[in-house]
Amino acid sequence: MTIKQGDKLPSGTLKIMGADGPQNVTTEDFFAGRKVVLFAVPGAFTRTCSAKHLPGFVGHAGAILAKGVDAIACISVNDVFVMDAWGKDQGVGDKVAMLADGSAEFTRALGLDADFSERGLGIRSQRYAMIVEDGTVTGLFVEAPGAYEVSAAEAVLATL
Amino acid sequence: MTIKVGDKFPQGSFLTLGPDGPAPVTTDELFKGKKVVLFAVPGAFTPTCSAKHLPGYVANADAIKAKGVDTIACMAVNDAFVMGAWGKDQGVGDKVLMLGDGSGDITKALGLELDATKMGMGPRSQRFALVVDDGTVTHVAVEEGGGLDVSAAEKVLAAL
Repeated sequence: MTIKQGDKLPSGTLKIMGADGPQNVTTEDFFAGRKVVLFAVPGAFTRTCSAKHLPGFVGHAGAILAKGVDAIACISVNDVFVMDAWGKDQGVGDKVAMLADGSAEFTRALGLDADFSERGLGIRSQRYAMIVEDGTVTGLFVEAPGAYEVSAAEAVLATL
Repeated sequence: MTIKVGDKFPQGSFLTLGPDGPAPVTTDELFKGKKVVLFAVPGAFTPTCSAKHLPGYVANADAIKAKGVDTIACMAVNDAFVMGAWGKDQGVGDKVLMLGDGSGDITKALGLELDATKMGMGPRSQRFALVVDDGTVTHVAVEEGGGLDVSAAEKVLAAL
């Protein structure tokens, strides 16, 4: 079952890099009582992600937050060390929270996993963006395989 | 079955980040007619790997190659993009070939996988080093207990 608009986000535990190393963050805590734009990429440091998707959200962070969004988060099936290194490489600062779903458990619970084993990437996430209000999905934009359109920062911003 | 001295290195293909993106490196290309030191880490950008293991091989690369080693290679169950980014971050230059076993196929064939799911990292590799001479394994050093000892550059250098 793939997540759809109106659904509650499934429970899960993600990791985020803190000052003292990796920290657990539950989806209940992260999404409670606020409006979050969450976007997912198949892999940190990959071409479309590094060249367009993440930089787009960094570039449009001010405009997105001005629409009443409390936080922007990027999630990927990469571990917390890789997500942190990628965020630093891309200069996200405090504009985008870098969330790691290293074991793909949350991504699978969303029904948005993708098998890229043949490309040497293993189980990853589809590329998507969602708007989550107090834990409920109020907007969902899943890309067709290989596409980069509906989940782009500009496209999500236009729906807010 | 875990790989042992005298065994042929299993057939497979890695991916490395080339100028035009990920490019395959078959085990035949890597090992045929060459002496290779291959070390494996649980994850790119993780503290022990970044702080000690990979830098140790970069620092000792000339001494290792002076012992008749043609290639030093680092492998991990990370994709080619992450391995390429990590190598760049660590300034490996042409001293260490960064190989992605993103789907873990070669790691499994070696019998050296590690389940790091509970740490949010999914299936990974144990930390180890091998010396492979024309495709045959001549030295096996697998770490036990999470440390960096027998697979460190200095220890492998001493074994050459």
